Amino acid sequence: MKRRTFLAGATAWGLGLVSRPGRTADDLGYSAPPRFTRPETSGEEGGLWALMDREERNLRRSPLIVRDGDLQSYVQDIACRLGSDHCPDIRVTLVRTPLFNASMAPNGMMQVWTGLLLRVENEAQLAAVLGHEIGHYLQKHSVERLRDIKSKSAIGQVFGLFGLAGAVGQLAVAASAYAYGRQHETEADRIGAQLMHRAGYQVGEAAKIWSNLLAESQAAEGKGANGSLLFATHPAPPERRAMLEDIARSLPDGVTGEEAFGRHVQRYLDEWLNDEIKRGQYAESLVLTTRHIARKFALETMHYHRGEIYRLRGRDGDLDLALGDYRNAIENDKPYPLALRGIGLIQRQRGQRKEAIEMLSRYLELAPAAPDALFIQSYIAELNS
Amino acid sequence: MRGLLLAVLALSVFGCASVKKVESGTNRLGERFTISIEGAWNQLDFPGVKPAQVWTMEGVTVDEFLIFNGIRDGEVMNSKSGNGKQQDFVFRKSMPTEEIVSLFEGVLSRDNAVFKLIKIEPYPFGGKKGFRFEYERIRKTDNVQLRGVGFGAVDGGDLFALLYHAPRLTFFPRHQARVEAIAATAVIR
Amino acid sequence: MNTLTETRASVCSLLRLTALVTALSLSSIAFAAASLNLAPGFSSLEKGATVVIMPPDVELFSISGGGVSEPKADWTETATGYIINELRRKSDVLGMKNVALSEKDADDLAEINTLHAAVAQSIALHHFQGGNFSLPTKGGQLDWSLGEAVGPIHQTSGADYALFVWIRDSYASAERKAAMVALAMLGVGIPGGFQVGYASLVNLHTGQILWFNRLIRGTGDLRTATDAAETVQELLSQFPRSQ
Repeated sequence: MKRRTFLAGATAWGLGLVSRPGRTADDLGYSAPPRFTRPETSGEEGGLWALMDREERNLRRSPLIVRDGDLQSYVQDIACRLGSDHCPDIRVTLVRTPLFNASMAPNGMMQVWTGLLLRVENEAQLAAVLGHEIGHYLQKHSVERLRDIKSKSAIGQVFGLFGLAGAVGQLAVAASAYAYGRQHETEADRIGAQLMHRAGYQVGEAAKIWSNLLAESQAAEGKGANGSLLFATHPAPPERRAMLEDIARSLPDGVTGEEAFGRHVQRYLDEWLNDEIKRGQYAESLVLTTRHIARKFALETMHYHRGEIYRLRGRDGDLDLALGDYRNAIENDKPYPLALRGIGLIQRQRGQRKEAIEMLSRYLELAPAAPDALFIQSYIAELNS
Repeated sequence: MRGLLLAVLALSVFGCASVKKVESGTNRLGERFTISIEGAWNQLDFPGVKPAQVWTMEGVTVDEFLIFNGIRDGEVMNSKSGNGKQQDFVFRKSMPTEEIVSLFEGVLSRDNAVFKLIKIEPYPFGGKKGFRFEYERIRKTDNVQLRGVGFGAVDGGDLFALLYHAPRLTFFPRHQARVEAIAATAVIR
Repeated sequence: MNTLTETRASVCSLLRLTALVTALSLSSIAFAAASLNLAPGFSSLEKGATVVIMPPDVELFSISGGGVSEPKADWTETATGYIINELRRKSDVLGMKNVALSEKDADDLAEINTLHAAVAQSIALHHFQGGNFSLPTKGGQLDWSLGEAVGPIHQTSGADYALFVWIRDSYASAERKAAMVALAMLGVGIPGGFQVGYASLVNLHTGQILWFNRLIRGTGDLRTATDAAETVQELLSQFPRSQ
């Protein structure tokens, strides 16, 4: 069985497998199975497909999916290039949930959560996650896993995960029930890396995802059930990162696609960051925004939202930090309107009348149709009197 | 055995909740807060709803008219439901309007609903300087998409507010005018 | 209710359901007076009226030994098929002309189906359950309307009426059944599976809910075609034959 051979483990990887025609010298030699045909519904695998078809239908009808065609087709296209021959079977749905996750069901339904899109930094990192999920798909891990966990009572929650529209509260439980075995994760990582490589992406980016997520989760105060949820489902990041770095060394070159990725997600950042902040996990959100600021990504947006996080957290000194961030967001010739508002509101509370009026007025000039325009006008009038 | 079961039945039906009619006319909601309504409403007298009063026209799963009658400084705004791990939202009399609206946003997102503020504006409420806001919500429990409107004012350090939300299809448009009319009659003494 | 009373309300309704199901299974109280099911002024459909059968909103669960409900999507998938078949057959028998919706149409109309579920739950609680839960402003009548929101269903299907069905059904697992027996011997009753269903006939020109029925019982099964047919029969048992 080809799959077993592939699975054989680290030594086979280290030595490199039998070469196949058409693959480059540094390729790890994975060959994907041919496209899957729909199994009989009565069988175990067929039952799983039927079940996922149903979940896909529910998801399609959920008000929480991102219906924007551009972003969806952008992600779909990346998945497609990774999936290669399997492209026609992969259907990507973007789900508005501020957590880091992606999944792929045996019927080809792939879910990508907006919390993931907010966290990856470029196309290569996104491709790493998508490639990993496609790896599970190609190796039919979910079917094997179904067999494994069928006896566990947690299976219901597994499907609760897919029916996530109504079950986000149960995610932590679901995620732990949903874990693939470590061997499956390792295998999927390797396949994912190879698919990335073949699609022309820099494989080294895969390891960076884990460094970034690790930093976030370490900042989290306590192990809250609302954390990023990813360590429940995946092998511990340090080893995983090391393994991915290892693979990357044998699969060099490739692009990161940072500019294109940023361009596609740009106009969603406000909405996603609002959702992110509402999780109330301020420590994690601070690490996230600080990271994007350090790489100079969407600077004004990130500064503004980090300012919001400080303002909401409201510990000693946080208002000053918020002011600092807001000011950074208005530095250049295209100031971020909501940051002007932020400064104005804080200065109003602090009795800094003059600056409050100036900032709130500038905000309204730039955003005359803002939801709070009339309200801000009333503040300005009050400050003027 | 059967007696026991009937006792359980009686307890669960009569012990849990009831619905009272709120008659047309002037309604004194508390010492300091009065509204006038045209046409009756239903008040859901459920033990778990405090600190708000909850009224409805169409039923508990359809529309809610929430009445906050003089929330004190330091008082929790949300009911004590949930798993106890969720954040409580506390009113402070020093809060500026934008923070009070964020507070309502928190209360209305406590069930993981997606909340979006559509508009906030000054509004003379109950004879005081107050505010009015509009919002959208998506209930994650059943995917119903709602529209809402809220009115409020802080007076003497206490918060008075009325919020109404209902499905954006049919129900919100059906009852919005009534709610706006009620808000216009509010008096804070 | 949503934010403030949600938990409480659901605890209450669970208790109530449990108590009711138990009471119903102990004594054969016949429940359904005609006025409970019909909107004021409505008695029956005209013969050959076109009725679109909305995609039934169905979910089957298994209750584990510990009392945790697990959604069973595979059961649900099969049960939904049985229910649609029986709804078609039954609507023929009742003298209606039924219209089906394509998957695409069903996607587009999903929001109104969601709205129906919310309204149906209020009708079940405030009208059928009634008593302390009656809404005084409704005057004891079946007086709910989905309003102009149903317009797109008429435009899509051409039908004049729509039949909505919502069912949740749960089944005790073997270990749960064992626990029930064990606890019953100690004099403690714990709920096994129960079936809750709502069905509404809606006028697509006005949105008015003309007919409504609720099913709530500790029996019934949707996992086989015959039993699913029985459930649909029961749910539509008060449905007036077209005249």
